Amino acid sequence: MIELLMTVFSATFFVTVIRTTTPLLFATLGGLISDLSGALNVALEGMMLIACLTAVIVSVYAPWYVAVLSGICAGAMLGALMALFHLRFKADIILVGFAVNILAAGGTVFALSRATGGDKGTSINLQSKAVPSVNLSFLEAVPVIGPALRSLLSGHSILSWLAILTVIGVWFFLYRTPYGLWLRGVGEYPAAPEAAGVPVNKVRAWSLIASGALAGIGGAQLAMFNYIGFTRDMTAGRGFIALGAVLLGARHPVGAMLAALLFGIFEALAIVMPNLFNWIPGEIIQTIPFVVTVLALVLFSYRAQRARQLKTLSKI
Amino acid sequence: MSSLSSTRRAVFLRELGRALTAVVIALVVALIVIFVTSANPGAAFQTLLTAPLSSNRTMGLWIDDVAKLTLTGLAFSLVFQARQFSMGVQGQVYVGGLCAALVAMSPIGATPLAIPLGMLAGMIAGAAYGFIPGYAKARFGASEIVSSLMLNYIAILVVNYLIRAHLAPPGTGQLMTAKFPDPAIFPAIIPGTRFDLGILIALVATFVVWFLLYRTNWGLKLRLVGHNPKFAEYAGIRASFIMVSAMTVAGAFGGLLGSVFVQGRAFGNLAQNFDGNLAFEGILIAIVARSRPLAVPFVALAYGYLRQGAQLMGIRTDVPTEMISVVQAIIILLVASSFSLPGKALLARLTGRRTVPAAAPEAAK
Repeated sequence: MIELLMTVFSATFFVTVIRTTTPLLFATLGGLISDLSGALNVALEGMMLIACLTAVIVSVYAPWYVAVLSGICAGAMLGALMALFHLRFKADIILVGFAVNILAAGGTVFALSRATGGDKGTSINLQSKAVPSVNLSFLEAVPVIGPALRSLLSGHSILSWLAILTVIGVWFFLYRTPYGLWLRGVGEYPAAPEAAGVPVNKVRAWSLIASGALAGIGGAQLAMFNYIGFTRDMTAGRGFIALGAVLLGARHPVGAMLAALLFGIFEALAIVMPNLFNWIPGEIIQTIPFVVTVLALVLFSYRAQRARQLKTLSKI
Repeated sequence: MSSLSSTRRAVFLRELGRALTAVVIALVVALIVIFVTSANPGAAFQTLLTAPLSSNRTMGLWIDDVAKLTLTGLAFSLVFQARQFSMGVQGQVYVGGLCAALVAMSPIGATPLAIPLGMLAGMIAGAAYGFIPGYAKARFGASEIVSSLMLNYIAILVVNYLIRAHLAPPGTGQLMTAKFPDPAIFPAIIPGTRFDLGILIALVATFVVWFLLYRTNWGLKLRLVGHNPKFAEYAGIRASFIMVSAMTVAGAFGGLLGSVFVQGRAFGNLAQNFDGNLAFEGILIAIVARSRPLAVPFVALAYGYLRQGAQLMGIRTDVPTEMISVVQAIIILLVASSFSLPGKALLARLTGRRTVPAAAPEAAK
């Protein structure tokens, strides 16, 4: 137990948490934007997976930032596809989302075997690149807390820093710009913005595209920093966990960040625990993020329900 | 009465036409993909379309898939009719399969009771597993989509662990249990093939689901809740009870599928990751069948053929089986959306009459 606490309160564990949180956070923000616009985006998982493969394959031929951009584009294009079928052809958003997930699960394996000449599981034969980490060793010069600061803040992916900026950016967009107001209005009660002359379907389409783009960055981080290279089904439910994190974060960007951090911590625990407790089977440790998601979801929904009931009671 | 039956016929023909158009468009895309990627596209496409009929063995494989696809399609249809998006069939298949396997490996496994008790154990386990997300939604308002998906992952990991660490014969390093004793495995209807009890179970289950949905009080309430939850609430139907019970009953069918998997002739044991993602494909079956239980076996028959063709294509040619996921996605997208058939207006103008949807696929080219 003491070893576990020692590990949890070490700087390396903190770095691991940031690493596991980053893809989840991007996906959660993506889920948040589409959720606020009134569409539950169950395709986050598939969008991330396709972005993973796109980023890995592009990174063989191009610098890392081009690969990340291509991952973003892949996600955004899937978002556009969902918007097309959901808004133009009136298909149910959840069914469209699962179509994207099915396409991603099989399509990535298919595309990978085409790209590598027959490898079906991993991209181990591809010379893919990684997202560089930010080296802040100059922080060492800060008096007293310098070394601690360096070990905590140095060595994160560039995209992790981008994630924090994105949280602020999404918050600013949603609550401080007219377009954010449009988006929230469309999700809340579409008839009102419609009457006010807001192009409701355009807002919905763009929020799905933005949602896909954010999931795409998450996928790029996953395949170019957390792991280098593509493995079949490498997202392993992170898109669905992100969906839970949106609800758990009370549909607010900062809440989303905290929820993603919570799931990131448990994923990091699942990474370090096998070394400490080798008597607990690996599969059981791997269930931790999923069990935590279910429990957190139930607890949060219960509290939200209670809050709603109290609100209606106080009105009477 | 006659006008009612003629509108039903028109609806049926329209749905059939849409499904066929979706399949044709999806196959055309598949053909293009195969042409771009394969060294020998002709052989690959021919394998995809004709291989399931090539021998008794492959036909048995096809029918075996049809039975399983029917069961998962029924489970999804039940929850979709109540407009619940519980995606938990995969998890139910795993816990159902586990419990059926435990019965088959216990002393009961050597007695004639092994098959009915195994199926029953699977159904109970699946129902319990389907109950959890239903209860969490009805009682706490927790999204059933997220919780059921999480439960899938948990079930797969736990069952895989139990197989690896406890159920596999010790010391062999195998990731599956030993073969069950003979009385616990479904008998073959045609000897030497996989044409076994599973297909009969699937047909009976189809009838049962149809009866539950269209000939019982509960089914009427369930469909009402699905069509218009507010109206159902005003009419005094306890929507939360219907929600939970729909997911529980669907869970029982998911668990039954688990038992059909492990006790069927295809396996006859419990192996890691045994479902081969088939459980999830029930979404496609249910969508194409418009959640109508009586349409499910026919859709399963057609889709199972395509699925088996893709499997054989993956084995016999250079095009991987996973190519089929492109076809799946296109079919779901097209059937779920209200697209209008291309060229329909033109055809109507040419013939000077209203088009019959079933004739449209030819017109589309």
